[in-house]
Amino acid sequence: MSLSLIPLLIAALFLASGEPEVETVQLILSRDHQVTEHEGALIVGDATVTIPPGARVPGPVYVIGGELRVAGEVAGDVTQLAGTVSVEAGAVIAGELQHVAGTLSIDSATEIGRRTSLDLTGSGTAAPGSGLLPGMSLALLLAGVGYLLARRKPNALANVSTAVRAHPVVTLTVGTLAFLTAISTLVFMAFTLVLIPVTILGLIVGVLTLGYGLVGWGHLVGTFLPIHRRGLATALGVVVLMAVLSLVSLVAVVGDLVVAALILSGMGAVLVTYYGVAPFRPEPLPD
Amino acid sequence: MVTAGYLFYVAVLSAGYYYNLTFVQLGIIDLGTRLVGLTASQVSGAMAGFAVAALVVAVVTGRMMDRVGWSSDLRVKLRILFFVVVGQTLLTVTAPLVGTPVQFFVWVLVCSVTLGVGMPVTFSLMIDLIPIRHRGGIAAVVAGLAFFAAAVYPLQWRLVEFARVMCALMVPAVVVMAVLAFRRLRMVEVWSCQHERFGVGRFVRGADPGTFRFVFWISVVLMFSVFFIDSLGFLRIIDTPVFIYTSWQSPELGVRLFIGASHVLGAAMAGVLYTVFGRRWLFLWILGLFAFTHLLYTFQLGTAPSGIDPPLSLPFFYVLAVSFYTTLNFALWPDLSTPANIGIRTGLGVGIAGWLASFLSTSLALYSRDIGLSLLEHLRYVNALALLLAVGYPVALYLRRMRALANLREAS
Repeated sequence: MSLSLIPLLIAALFLASGEPEVETVQLILSRDHQVTEHEGALIVGDATVTIPPGARVPGPVYVIGGELRVAGEVAGDVTQLAGTVSVEAGAVIAGELQHVAGTLSIDSATEIGRRTSLDLTGSGTAAPGSGLLPGMSLALLLAGVGYLLARRKPNALANVSTAVRAHPVVTLTVGTLAFLTAISTLVFMAFTLVLIPVTILGLIVGVLTLGYGLVGWGHLVGTFLPIHRRGLATALGVVVLMAVLSLVSLVAVVGDLVVAALILSGMGAVLVTYYGVAPFRPEPLPD
Repeated sequence: MVTAGYLFYVAVLSAGYYYNLTFVQLGIIDLGTRLVGLTASQVSGAMAGFAVAALVVAVVTGRMMDRVGWSSDLRVKLRILFFVVVGQTLLTVTAPLVGTPVQFFVWVLVCSVTLGVGMPVTFSLMIDLIPIRHRGGIAAVVAGLAFFAAAVYPLQWRLVEFARVMCALMVPAVVVMAVLAFRRLRMVEVWSCQHERFGVGRFVRGADPGTFRFVFWISVVLMFSVFFIDSLGFLRIIDTPVFIYTSWQSPELGVRLFIGASHVLGAAMAGVLYTVFGRRWLFLWILGLFAFTHLLYTFQLGTAPSGIDPPLSLPFFYVLAVSFYTTLNFALWPDLSTPANIGIRTGLGVGIAGWLASFLSTSLALYSRDIGLSLLEHLRYVNALALLLAVGYPVALYLRRMRALANLREAS
C-alpha cells in the first residue's frame, strides 16, 4: 500500500464509522477483484474492483485509489475520494454518489439515487504560481513556530538540532522505525472504528512531531546564517530549508528519498531528545 | 589486517547462519517428511532430539574451550572450525542419499554434533576479530547478508536445492579454512592477540559477578522466548499458501527482493540501536514488533475474506522483528562474556536461546499441524505469548528500577 493512501484510508474509515449500520469494513489493496457479495463497508485502495452485472453489494463503498467499476447494483452510497469510478450501462447506485476527487465516468443508461459533487481540489484555471501557495504557507507557519520556540525554549530547539547534526544515522534510524510502527499501528487502530478518535489524535501528535523536527533542522540551518538574533535566524533557517526541500523534491526518486530521510531524522531527533527536554547522549562504549 | 578480520568474521558467520536457516531448519523437515516419508510427528520428535543434542554438545564444547584455554586461542578455534566445516560439507553431500528412517536419525545426530561444536567456536570469534564499538554494526551486516541471501535464493525450499547451494559455498570454504588454520600467517598472528584489547564484553565491564550472572540468565530467558515465538508462528505461517506464496516464496522476484531488503533494513536499524542504546531498548523493540506482527496476522486471518491477498506489511514487520533479534543474538553473547568464559556463555546462550528454542517450537508447530489445530487458533496462542512478553518486560524493568530506588533510599 502506498503511504499516500493512508490519510485517505483514515478519512474513509472515519466516514464509515459515522454510518450507523456499518459494523465491518473490508479494504481491497491490490490486483483485480470481482465483488459479488459483501457485508459492511468496502474501501477500494490500489486495486481494480468490479461489481459485475446482477451482483448486489450493500455499501457504502469508498474509493481512495485504484478503480471501481459498477455494472451491478450498490444498495448504499458510493463516495469517491480519489482514483477512478466508472458507472457502466445498466448499473444501479440506490444511495448517493458523492464525488470529491478523482476521475468519474457515468454511462447515460444508469440509475443513481442522488449525485453530489464536493470539489476540494479546486476547479477552473489556476492562477500562475498558485501551486506554491500551500508550501509557502507551511514554510511561514513553521518559521513562525521556529521564531517563537527559539526565543522561548532555545535549549529545547538546540537539543533537537544538535541531535540531527551530531547523530544523523541514529536519528534517521529512530525516526524511520518510529514512523513505520506508528503509522501501521494507527491504521490498525482505525480499522477497529471505535479507536478512530485515538487514531486522529495520534496523527495530530505525529504531524506536530514531524513539524517540530523540521523546525529543529531550520534552527540548525539558521546557525549558519549571518544573523545574530536567535529567533530570526531560526525563522529564516526554516524558510531556507523548506525552499531547498521543495527544489530537491523535484528530482525524481532520489529527491523524494532525501526529503524523507531529512524529515524522518528530524522526527528521530525530537524523539531521542524527549521533545528537546534533554540532550541526546549515546551509551558510552569502550575503545 | 583488522579489516580482513572483519571480512573473515562476516563471511564465516553469515555463511554459517545461512546454512542454519536454510539447509538445517528447513532442509531437515523436507528430508524427513518428503524424502524419507516420516510423519510430521516423527520429524518433530527428531528435531526436538536434535535441539537437545546440539545444546549438550555446545555446552560441553564451550566448557572445555574455557577450561583448557582454547577460548582465547584463535589458532585452535580455527582448527576446530576447519574440522566442523569438513564435517558439515560431508553431511551436505550425503544428505540427498539418506533414504531410510535409521539413516535419517543417524544423519540428524551427526549434524547436531557438528553444529554443537561449531556454535561456541564461531560465536566466540567476535572477541578475537571485532572491537566492541563495531559489534552492533558487524552483527547487522552478518544478519542482513544471511537473511537477504536466504530470502532471494533458492526459491524452492527443498533439501536438494539447499544442498547444491551449500556445496558451492562450502568446498572453497574448506580450502580457505585449511590455509588459515594450518599455515603460519602474519594476519592470524595479529588477530590472535586482539582479544587482550577488546575481549572483555561491553556489559561485563565494571559489573560485579552476581549482577553479571543475573543479566546473563535474564538475557538467555528473553532470547529463548523471542526465538521460541518466532519459530512457533513462522513454521505454521509458511505452511499456509496464501501467506507463503505472497511473500517468502512469491514467484515474483520483486516481492522476494522486498523481503530481502526489509531484512537488511531491519538488521541495519538493529545495529545502530544496539550500539547507541544497548540491549534493553532493543529487547523492547523486538518484543513489541513480534506482538504487533502476530496481531496483524491474527487480524488478517480473522477478518479478511478468502481470495484477498494479505498486504506486504505483514511479512515486512515479521522480517523486521527477526532481523532485530538475530543482530542482537550475534553481538549479545560476546558482549556478556570475557575471554575466560566466552565458550560456556556462547554455548549456553546460543544453545538454549537459539537452538533449543527454535527446535522445540518447530517440533511444537509440527505437532499442532499434525493434530489439526487451525492456523488462526495456533497464532492466537503465539500472539498471547508475544503480548505477554511485550507487556511483561517493560513492567519487569519498571519494578526493578523501583526496587533499586527503594534500596537507594534505605541506604541513604
